[in-house]
Amino acid sequence: MDKNFKETSRSGGIIWLFQRVSAVILFVLLMAHYVTYHFIGHGIVKYVDVIEKMKAPWFNLVQFLFLFTALYHGINGIWMVAEDYMKKKGTRIFVFSILVMLGAILMFVGMLTIFKAGAKL
Amino acid sequence: MSKEKRIIKILRYDPANDKKPHWVDYTGEFDSDSTILDVLNDIHWKTDGSLAYRRSCRSGICGSCAMKVNGQNILACETPIHKFKGKIKIEPLPGFAIIKDLVVDMDLFFEKLKKVKPYLVVDKPLPDKEFTQSPEEFEYIRESVTCILCGACTSSCPSLWGNEDYLGPAALLKAYRFIFDTRDDGANERMDIVNDKNGIWRCHTIFNCMEACPKDIKITEYLSRLKVKIVENSI
Ligand code: SF4
Ligand code: FES
Repeated sequence: MDKNFKETSRSGGIIWLFQRVSAVILFVLLMAHYVTYHFIGHGIVKYVDVIEKMKAPWFNLVQFLFLFTALYHGINGIWMVAEDYMKKKGTRIFVFSILVMLGAILMFVGMLTIFKAGAKL
Repeated sequence: MSKEKRIIKILRYDPANDKKPHWVDYTGEFDSDSTILDVLNDIHWKTDGSLAYRRSCRSGICGSCAMKVNGQNILACETPIHKFKGKIKIEPLPGFAIIKDLVVDMDLFFEKLKKVKPYLVVDKPLPDKEFTQSPEEFEYIRESVTCILCGACTSSCPSLWGNEDYLGPAALLKAYRFIFDTRDDGANERMDIVNDKNGIWRCHTIFNCMEACPKDIKITEYLSRLKVKIVENSI
């Protein structure tokens, strides 16, 4: 029996690296989120406080980064694990497309919230 | 030494007669510091000569006697029965095809090992005397050279259960052992082999291999070092 275990020349190294990098960014942003929401100000977060913060462009930029990194990290994570179980090219393309679409939809909804909510008030 | 009565459940399978593996119970009196291998020998010699299992050195060196006992991959010859409370459930290593009873098919395991070129590749002229390393250089591979190729790690890996083409921790650890050996010149070739969808990137740092390894090798840590080296090399 001589099996060639090499499936593809495509490296998984880059997505592995990006998963680590996005985890570190996410950690920093999460800490920033906690500090700005829960420790700066009076501690109790009310709807008006959040809307007030959302008027500041820098705050929205951080929220946007947070949204993007969290979605990237989550969807990339699901893809990395899903890859363990998918052998057929068709299945892989199908699942990959679903995940990209899911990411795009969630990104769109998230961006609507970030940029519309503050602007409306 | 006091003897105690123990119930031993063994997952038996004879492909000639059985459709699927089934449990068979044995009862016996054993010293509390008998090993699982002693128990299997006792059953094989006195009760049921048809029981199949592998063993050779009976001292934790040859790596033949790895099996699953009460949910844990262990070496039968160096694990005393007093480690297990109540019934002792003995099964073949998971993740491998069963040949008979506790004997599993290791062909694929060794095939994968061969893929990573498990030997020193030297391009430079050999020194006249010994091919030495400094203690610091040896420190990188000190633990990984103690692998006895028992297969307990690879068999315990959920990534392998999901994809039998995954090289698995034992082969990847062997790749690490030579890639980080300062005397070796085959690192790039080996890194190219393991830098693959069925190679190192199927490792999700689950740590099962490290828990299973009877030689306490910090496999996951070494595989992480290997990942970093591969990424550094490809940037
Ligand atoms: S790394 Fe440990 S568990 Fe894996 S084959 Fe070697 S000795 Fe066995
Ligand atoms: S019989 Fe050799 S390792 Fe157990």
